[in-house]
Amino acid sequence: MNLRILLNTTTPADKVLFSLLIIVSLSGYLFADKLLPENPSVRIEVNGKPVYILRVTENRTVPVKGPHGYTYVEIKDQRVRISGSPCANKLCVQQGWISSGALVCLPNRVVVTIGKQTEENMPVDAITG
Amino acid sequence: MQLQDKYRIAILSAYALGLHGFESLLPSPIPWLRLGLANIITITTLFLYGTGAAVTVTLIRVVLGSLFAGTFPGPAFILSLGGGLASALVMGSIFSVAPRLFSAIGLSIIGALFHNLVQLVIAYFLFIQKIEAVLLITPLMVLLGTLTGTANGAVSGLLIKNLKISGQKVQNVD
Repeated sequence: MNLRILLNTTTPADKVLFSLLIIVSLSGYLFADKLLPENPSVRIEVNGKPVYILRVTENRTVPVKGPHGYTYVEIKDQRVRISGSPCANKLCVQQGWISSGALVCLPNRVVVTIGKQTEENMPVDAITG
Repeated sequence: MQLQDKYRIAILSAYALGLHGFESLLPSPIPWLRLGLANIITITTLFLYGTGAAVTVTLIRVVLGSLFAGTFPGPAFILSLGGGLASALVMGSIFSVAPRLFSAIGLSIIGALFHNLVQLVIAYFLFIQKIEAVLLITPLMVLLGTLTGTANGAVSGLLIKNLKISGQKVQNVD
């Protein structure tokens, strides 16, 4: 049998190399998700349409245009707030900084969500929306 | 370089090119997953005719292969050239320093590993620029590369053995 002859010709170094690579790559593959925590992202929607998806790691302020004017969304130190809004009651501004969940400015139709963008923590799904 | 060597390199390059082309026709579950069949010829060349011949065959295969596929100076060519040259050079230097340390299978695994790593580095600097993406995909590429490398190495081992036997039976035919 040719394969058996072939197996006999493999050297110890072959076997060590093969096992080492398989173990390292398998464990790397299995633990890659844990080693690299996925940074949550900030998703900004106007009228139910996503207009921005930003990383929480970059500090910035973005103006978001709604029906009543500009709502200012500020991202800093992995948290997000609405720093200015054209609406009357300013509920969204009073909500302050959040690191997970959602900020909503209903009059100006702006929804800001922060977190991993998976199906479960999307603010509105196709049925309720 | 002797005339005989030129013939050998030409024929081996043709085989490598054939396998390279055949491989691109195979449907693949993941777009970037390649079997690296042409590496069989690189390893066979390395064992029978040495590092210089192996690198030459790889260069001819990469350049002609991308000319035939129409990707000549593009990103696919750069990736193919970098990976192919790196794996041929690393396999060649290990084989010339310690010929008995690894068999064809071990060298093939090393070749696949360096092919993948160099391509990832090139891809990072030229195209992706996102270290997370590269780090995430590296273990999977190394794993698949080790498996395909083992299979290619086994084929090369059989090929080398049979070529050596037939070379002893019929001497000076080429």
